[in-house]
Amino acid sequence: MILLSPQMRTAVQRTLLPILVLLSAAIVVLGKADQLLFDSVRTAVSDTAAPVLDTLSRPLTAAGNVIDRVQMIITTYQENARLEAENQRLLQWQQTALNLAADNQRLRGLLKAVPDAAVSFVTARVIANSGGAFVRMILINAGTEDHIARGQAAVTGEGLVGRLTEVGDRAARVLLITDLNSRIPVTVESSHVNAVLAGDNSERPRLLYLPAPDGVKVGDRIVTSGEGGVFPPGLPVGVVGSLDAAGPRVEPYVELSQIGYVLVVDYGLSRSLPQPPQVMARSRTDASPPARTMR
Amino acid sequence: MALKVFSIPALPRVNNGAARMLPVATTLFAALISVLPVQIPGYAALTPVFTLMAAYHWTIYRPDLLPPLALFAIGLTEDLLAGSPIGVNALLLLLTRSAVLGYRRYFVNRTFPFVWTGFTLLTVAAMFGLWVLHCLLDLSLLDFRNTVIRGALTIAIFPLASFLLGRAQRAVMGAG
Repeated sequence: MILLSPQMRTAVQRTLLPILVLLSAAIVVLGKADQLLFDSVRTAVSDTAAPVLDTLSRPLTAAGNVIDRVQMIITTYQENARLEAENQRLLQWQQTALNLAADNQRLRGLLKAVPDAAVSFVTARVIANSGGAFVRMILINAGTEDHIARGQAAVTGEGLVGRLTEVGDRAARVLLITDLNSRIPVTVESSHVNAVLAGDNSERPRLLYLPAPDGVKVGDRIVTSGEGGVFPPGLPVGVVGSLDAAGPRVEPYVELSQIGYVLVVDYGLSRSLPQPPQVMARSRTDASPPARTMR
Repeated sequence: MALKVFSIPALPRVNNGAARMLPVATTLFAALISVLPVQIPGYAALTPVFTLMAAYHWTIYRPDLLPPLALFAIGLTEDLLAGSPIGVNALLLLLTRSAVLGYRRYFVNRTFPFVWTGFTLLTVAAMFGLWVLHCLLDLSLLDFRNTVIRGALTIAIFPLASFLLGRAQRAVMGAG
């Protein structure tokens, strides 16, 4: 094309434009028809761009940390008073918890219960998120090189963030619990009623398939139910924030638009998720001891 | 007719390799910054469409240096990185080019408010188009509010983007 005269080049570009428009439209339709068709391309592009995004996002993460710190300094006095009150309360809870732990251990011994599987986790930094109104995903700077696999849970200290849907060598994509395509089996902690937490791209996902709509009230804690075997039961998700006509909405514990880091946790359950062939070939099959890596 | 669109007004020749790369490089950069995780509450959903600004600017001032193939590649890259339905941004950028190219002679050498008005019309059409396309892809009626705010932010930030792109253009390519 470099050898063509400007007029020729113009003519080529004029014909190229409608062809590429049609090609793009075809890709949109194909990508919709077969969701896995472009998965390997997507993973390859994410992997390639990961170092660049990692570098570019560093100052943003740092800026976020600075803002957090400034906010902390501003609120130090009130925060200290609040924490002291909370500490008093928690000390009482600690006694309760110790008693319960002792009870629990004794009863487990009586029942010969199987202990929970050891979990391993990897800390990863958020290097990209889906800009735009239609998708809720983040890209993290950890991949199969860090022994993470598709289907594992991404959490923060506060609660559930989402699920790994795509794992490359250096980067992985997390489908947030607020995304339109996210469906998480959950349970209302107080009443043990099961439901499905369904994202709709808004900040507060909805609770679907509740057996009785009045079985839930504002302020109820929502945790994962463990049904389907992807997440372990009891992972904190959020609290019921409002009761709309369309059903209850859940306020996630995690401020999803401000996550800087996530923990990718392997509960040893992710293999129960159907894996597309190209991801399965790469995923870890050996059971390695609990690992802790900081990126 | 086809040749006239490009030649009015005549585009000065740019031989400097770095200068020839500028439109593609800035548009690619726009794609990258639109996926960066800015830790402002609610920002992700309202991220301005930076690539639309770059595609509009360069299609008016240097359509020869931002060819359709580059728009296609950058659009696909953005789709793949953002995790959005593949092809949507490529389609958006290419349609932007085909829409703007026919009118570029009315925009070149005009005052900024005129160019901004053109961009406003483009963004309104683009946002509505994106919303319709995503509704069709998801087979559901999606919330329109985020799209409206996102469009408004895109229009509001365009003067800054246009200023920066214009400065870069003058610095690297000289006047024109």
